[in-house]
Amino acid sequence: MLSVLTNRSVRPYLLLVAITVVLWILDGGRGVFFTTSTAFSVLQQFATIGLIALGLGLSMIIREIDLSVAGMMSLSGCIAVLTGAGQPGLGVALAVVFGMVWGLFQGAIMVWLRLGSIGVTLGGLLTLGGLAYVVTGNLSISYPRMDVALAVNHPVLEIFSLRSLVALIAFLAAAFFMARTRVGRDVYATGSDHRAAMVAGVRTSAIVPAVFACSGMLAALAGSLLSYSLAAASGVALTDVLVPAIAAAIIGGVSLMGGRGTPIGIVGGVLVLCLLSSGLNAIGTPPAVHDVVTGGVLFLVAIADAIDIDRRLFAVQRYWREMFLRRDDHIGLTKPRPPGSVYHKEAVRRSNATPLIK
Amino acid sequence: MNNAAIARVTESLPLRVARNDEEDAAAEARMAAQSVLSIRHLSKSFGPIAALKDISLDIGSGQVLGICGENGAGKSTLVKILTGVYRPDEGTILVGGEPASISTPRQAQERGIAIVSQELSLCPDLSVEDNIWLGSLRVPFLHKRPELRQRAADTLALLGADYIDLAAPISSLSIGERQLVEIARLLTRDARVLILDEPTATLTDVEIDRIFAALLALKREGRSVIYITHRLAEVFAICDRVSVMRNGELVTTTALNGLGREALIELMLGRPSGEMYPEETRARGAPALVVEGLTLPGIVDNFAMTVRRGEILCIAGQVGSGAAEIISALAGLVHDANGRVMVNDTLLKLGSPARAARRGIMFVSGDRAAEGVFRRLSVLHNLVATRLGDHSVLGFLRGGALRAAGERLASHVGIDRRRLRSRAEDLSGGNQQKLAFGRSMERQSNAVLLMNEPTRGIDVGARAEIYRLMRSLCEEGYALVMASSDLEEIVGVGDVVLTLYRGRLVKQYRRSEVTMHRVVADITHPADGTA
Amino acid sequence: MKDQTLPSTSRDDWRLPLPHSTRGRVLVAIRFAAVLALIIAAASTPGFFTTVSLFSLLNTTSFIGCIAIGMTFITLSGNIMSFALGVTLSTSGIVFIAALPLGLIPAMIAALTFGAALTAVQGVVIGYFRANPIIVSMAALALITGCATLITQGRGVYPAGDEAALLKGRVLGVPIPVAALIVTVVVAQIVLSFTQFGRQLYMVGSNWRAALAAGLEPARVVLGAYIAAGLCAAVAGILMAARYSSGDMELGIGYDYNAISAVLVGGTAISGGEGSAIRSLTGAFIIAVCQVLLLLNGFSSQIQFLAIGVIVLLVIMLQTLADGG
Repeated sequence: MLSVLTNRSVRPYLLLVAITVVLWILDGGRGVFFTTSTAFSVLQQFATIGLIALGLGLSMIIREIDLSVAGMMSLSGCIAVLTGAGQPGLGVALAVVFGMVWGLFQGAIMVWLRLGSIGVTLGGLLTLGGLAYVVTGNLSISYPRMDVALAVNHPVLEIFSLRSLVALIAFLAAAFFMARTRVGRDVYATGSDHRAAMVAGVRTSAIVPAVFACSGMLAALAGSLLSYSLAAASGVALTDVLVPAIAAAIIGGVSLMGGRGTPIGIVGGVLVLCLLSSGLNAIGTPPAVHDVVTGGVLFLVAIADAIDIDRRLFAVQRYWREMFLRRDDHIGLTKPRPPGSVYHKEAVRRSNATPLIK
Repeated sequence: MNNAAIARVTESLPLRVARNDEEDAAAEARMAAQSVLSIRHLSKSFGPIAALKDISLDIGSGQVLGICGENGAGKSTLVKILTGVYRPDEGTILVGGEPASISTPRQAQERGIAIVSQELSLCPDLSVEDNIWLGSLRVPFLHKRPELRQRAADTLALLGADYIDLAAPISSLSIGERQLVEIARLLTRDARVLILDEPTATLTDVEIDRIFAALLALKREGRSVIYITHRLAEVFAICDRVSVMRNGELVTTTALNGLGREALIELMLGRPSGEMYPEETRARGAPALVVEGLTLPGIVDNFAMTVRRGEILCIAGQVGSGAAEIISALAGLVHDANGRVMVNDTLLKLGSPARAARRGIMFVSGDRAAEGVFRRLSVLHNLVATRLGDHSVLGFLRGGALRAAGERLASHVGIDRRRLRSRAEDLSGGNQQKLAFGRSMERQSNAVLLMNEPTRGIDVGARAEIYRLMRSLCEEGYALVMASSDLEEIVGVGDVVLTLYRGRLVKQYRRSEVTMHRVVADITHPADGTA
Repeated sequence: MKDQTLPSTSRDDWRLPLPHSTRGRVLVAIRFAAVLALIIAAASTPGFFTTVSLFSLLNTTSFIGCIAIGMTFITLSGNIMSFALGVTLSTSGIVFIAALPLGLIPAMIAALTFGAALTAVQGVVIGYFRANPIIVSMAALALITGCATLITQGRGVYPAGDEAALLKGRVLGVPIPVAALIVTVVVAQIVLSFTQFGRQLYMVGSNWRAALAAGLEPARVVLGAYIAAGLCAAVAGILMAARYSSGDMELGIGYDYNAISAVLVGGTAISGGEGSAIRSLTGAFIIAVCQVLLLLNGFSSQIQFLAIGVIVLLVIMLQTLADGG
């Protein structure tokens, strides 16, 4: 039972329950908040942020990060809107193909030139964002097909829509893939210890570009469907996309150190953020509060996933015990472990250098 | 002293597995026939340093070839080329008589070569079962098959490790258990040539016997084994032939029957071992470092020691025994260390390297890249890294004084003054390590120097210089503590030797009574059957 | 001469098979060619060498340059970049304008303290907990933007009186923003080259763990770097607010990207431990020249943004090529 609670992928759902309880209390049983329309709007947000968080989460699992997803989202919206007037499916398909190609390109640069992902995807973010900026001219390009916009948002089974169903299907596919296939296991291996995986025979030089291709495709899918649903393509701000997506992924159990986290966990993390944001809307807070809350959540989450958090917490605990409890033993402060179980070099490896830069 | 040192190093080591002379003769006959793996004129250089020079070897089926050599002889480079991690500058590899180009570890696997590397290649977040089958060619797309799980369980049972839970993440296993998992991976690969690079560095003698039994069974099936080690008992226990490497060159390849141990050692060392280790110092001072009840949760239990000034104390232990962690903890790098440590009669609180440095504790690590050297900075900057405060006024550095200090330190440790401006990463490993020592010199005379595998990966010449440096520091009144898994070095250098097994102190020896045999016995199995 | 303990990195033989020295030479050739191309472009653009455009060039450089110097401290410490320096600029400008009734000097002190405090909080989290610097800076960006928008309610802040007019003038014939930039660069370079803190900064950026093991205190050094960055951003914020006579969140938009581009183009390594303030100044100048050239040739500001993105990507790729890994 205890092991279920400490499972990283279950934690976001516990948080979800906690937030629901708080909102229910605030709602006071009036039934204003817990309606199908709220669920619908939560799932609509999920459709946008979720796909980005999934792609970002996958890149974090291999111990990299794809900062360019925000730019890809904007640019793919433009591509879809500009090419999808006749055939909406074509617009989405072209955007997704572009996302795949760009992701492969970024991944190939990283493998071939032995670069860290932060630099390359930063350049990608600026380039893609810049292209989107240029194409839209800092305005919006409108999409003439209102029927598509309505269809994409049309409620299915009262709470879903085409967009949220697409996102859910993507998550289910990812969950199956990561848990049940050899390639999924290889992805975890690459993130857990790239060198060890390579020596064992994993094709890491193929895994990295493939993962970035996935994050590019997912971002493109999100961006194109979003622009259809808004019937317009416009630029996307960093704080609107990257901040909640990264927070969602880390809440969902993914770590910047790589090697852990599951798509189902990421679903939980995204739902936490969407529910939080819907709750804030329901209370009637101005949009700036939204920024503050998501920023604050990401800040806390970044500290929780920090490299030295254990060390500092331990120091605080020890100080507390010595100052106030007048004890200088350490019984109960650390988990009992079998002798010889901590790998010194692993501690050095994990603590050395900022992750995500080689 | 020289004779005593030679005697300690060359004394008889007991054989553990019985040998069969008829089998040896049959193996030799088979070698004359087709060879499974051949290496012709292999060379590899890293910049101007030649790691391998013109190596040629043959291995036939059903043969066990041992490769012996000291640190830095080139054994690991050879293995990395055979397994596709590095590519050779010159030379060819022939597998089954045909030239093979091996440019990735996966290709090595396709050619039938499998490896257990010295640096374990396990992914901490994956389960034991996943690690055993990681990267194997025989795993299908949907990889969770009961037959694969059964095979993994059977292999672990073969190694006596069936107590290990297949679903447990590697990060929860001890280092000995991890090594067994890595060997299990090797055994499931069905390779024609199995390469084991120092595979027993963390194992008990019981576990080692089981591995040998498994290897001998494979040998009878016709598979070939390349066994790399510098533990001579193992060479004589399991190998048919042995190749000796020194400084990147192949000194000789010869059959083992008839070769005496002394002859083998002489081939490996290439010179009498007495020249390596300087005379001990006479004077012993007051206790500089007193440790009581040092406990690192999960690693070390209740360790105690006393180090006097002018003395070199060596902590002997295998990888994962806790020796390296004790040194790190005393240097302040382990945050949950607990115990009573007195430095020059004042209590030291553990957990902060800055605090330890202020008390006169200095730290030299064998892991230069991670913990020792600032690679992009100049040699001068590296040398004076810890004494900026001594030569600055109101926060401003006094460049001239620092430069003078740097030149003094460089000449003290034998680094050419003209190299002061070059980047630290351009120095050889030996020079980088001397740099780390140089940083620690000329401190207050009651300083304590802690060292963690300081001569790892360094060639013989540089090592001799480092031992001389260590002795001269003793003369100045430093107390030195060194953790090492190189037993020859421990026995040659240590005035006091402490042996460690799985986090607990086994025994303490004075210089006159320590032998390699006793040390090996202490660090590879528990005393009196207790774990 | 390379180490005999071979680096255990497994990507060793995957990069382009150019020998070490040739790679360095190729990089120098590329830099030379790039500068040459810029000069040719400048010469062939009508109106570049007029007083007006040169003046605007200097002004642009001074603002980008100030932030770039601040960014340099962060990059040198091994923490890559911060997305929050632009908003630090804006909010410091707002604080400056709001505090003007207290007098010019107190207002400047208030703005500087505020800017330093904003980045100091990030420095604590990044230095002591070793949280991911990119993510912390993004979170700070959202937090600061949100709080500032709430407080100012989306409107700008305007000065009541004329105290800030002093900052729009010149000193010794040089416009004040340019003079401030020169002073900032000089102070920063002195700190980096001649002080204990500066030397420790390079060590921490080069190898955190080695710095820790050597007994330096990396957490403190990183905090210092972030405080320095905040001060530089606040200086730029004060100057901008004075120039436009208003404090507004709009003022700092895009400066993070310009700054990191300037730092990288100038030659500071993105992985830390190598670089200088003067290099970043050169980079800022080059970026400013590119911007002015694009502007004069009729390209919109969007294209300028795109151009900077492409430049960053290229520079990062070239940097690694030159290092040889």
